[in-house]
Amino acid sequence: MRLPKFEYIGPETLEQALDLLAQHKDDAKILAGGTDLLVRMKKGLLQPKVLISLKGLNELSYIKEDHDDEDGDTICIGSRTPLADIIASDFIQTHAVALSTACEKVGAVTLQHYRGTIGGNILQDTRCHHYNQSAFHRSGRQPCHKNGGKICYARDEADRCYSTCQSDGATALMALNAKLVLVSKGNERTVNLADFYTADGMMPFAMESHELLKKIIIPKTFTTSAYKRLAYRSAIDYPIVCAAVSLKTSGTTAGTKIDEARVVVGAMGRSPLYFAQASSGLKGKDITDKDAFHAAAVQAMNSAEAFAVHNAGSTLEYRCIMVEQMVFRALEEAIQSGSV
Amino acid sequence: MEKIKIILDINDMPEEVEISSNDTLLEVLRDQLDLTGSKESCGEGACGSCTIHMDGKPVRSCLTLALEAEGAKIKTVEGLADGDQLTDLQQSFIDHGAVQCGFCTSGMLMSADALLKDNPKPDKTQIKKALAGNICRCTGYTKIIKAVAHAGNPREDCPDCQHDNKQKE
Repeated sequence: MRLPKFEYIGPETLEQALDLLAQHKDDAKILAGGTDLLVRMKKGLLQPKVLISLKGLNELSYIKEDHDDEDGDTICIGSRTPLADIIASDFIQTHAVALSTACEKVGAVTLQHYRGTIGGNILQDTRCHHYNQSAFHRSGRQPCHKNGGKICYARDEADRCYSTCQSDGATALMALNAKLVLVSKGNERTVNLADFYTADGMMPFAMESHELLKKIIIPKTFTTSAYKRLAYRSAIDYPIVCAAVSLKTSGTTAGTKIDEARVVVGAMGRSPLYFAQASSGLKGKDITDKDAFHAAAVQAMNSAEAFAVHNAGSTLEYRCIMVEQMVFRALEEAIQSGSV
Repeated sequence: MEKIKIILDINDMPEEVEISSNDTLLEVLRDQLDLTGSKESCGEGACGSCTIHMDGKPVRSCLTLALEAEGAKIKTVEGLADGDQLTDLQQSFIDHGAVQCGFCTSGMLMSADALLKDNPKPDKTQIKKALAGNICRCTGYTKIIKAVAHAGNPREDCPDCQHDNKQKE
């Protein structure tokens, strides 16, 4: 498959990259690892005039400990950090194991881990079985919302695109309550990952075309976390349902209690889905209280049902039922693996 | 669109090529440099038959722009053997009959070679994980995994080697 024609620019500093973005805006796309972008271009889903490569921007590739007034101790990850670096990092393994597991599950070792980046993983476009197809396949019928038409093949009479966010990394980061730092020329803003999504598959991210994802900030507030996913094959495939949880626990003489929990379900909606009710239900519960885990998992399943559409393989019923399993298993694993 | 001249470091040899910005590394390797060991199958990063090494790490050459490969040390399956002297891994593939149609073989070799550099004695789980991104549609995985496990081991340690079986006869 040939790539469509484009102009390639390789800036050497972040300043240059932001200048180029400000200049080309919608005509340009950022090229990091290319494992999502180049596939979309080959299929004719995207035709950017300019590709701005991050190859020369080593300044965006790092994992470090940081401190800020709002979040206290944090983990900072540069957006161009390869997934392999995150998987190999003992620091991430200790303080954000859900992210480590999620990155390990992305694609396959030879496919994403060395080329693919964490920024690219978060910013991969939403997917749908009816849309992510070859130009020939799509030419057989009228274009859907995401393809510039007015039809949705995944949901009858849908007024917008229901394509699904199947990012492993974003699901884990949502559970870890991460923040994103977006930069544009002369401007920098921090946004909660939870507020970063628009709930419209057409433009899934609340991000301007001249903005660039600079770094990811993870607060070190949680004691333990875990990530579970279900996919056709253990490698290469995207998840059809996944769940990430993070827990803050405290030990007393009467046992260890959960002070704070975040339950997030991925690959079901147009963004990773944080369920406040399922999460708050775990507050104050003992870590050996399996009934509470079940209750939270069922709650998450019931909440997730409203978001999912039939567009990611398998049946919708099966995916919904497996939400319960994924959340429950993630909770169990978090307790087992964590230092609680 | 104008052509761009770059120098690629392929199998320890500098190669000057004239490319377009939208040429993938795989296209340059196969069409310009006649290094046809790396195959194009799916073209979208799902099958692994185009796997090569960039700076010692296995990557998909079909999803790597040739321009992005400038400055990196590239190794293709042609660069594994030293002249006619096959590597232990290649010899092991032959000895175990780990080749059926052969289309996936170069990708398998590159993924396995990178694994063995990191971990000379991998167990079955580690091999499976390292080769998870390479698909064999003849589905001859068992022999491939065996071949990787026994690469570089003395032949007498390996009951499956054809070499040994012939000796017994």
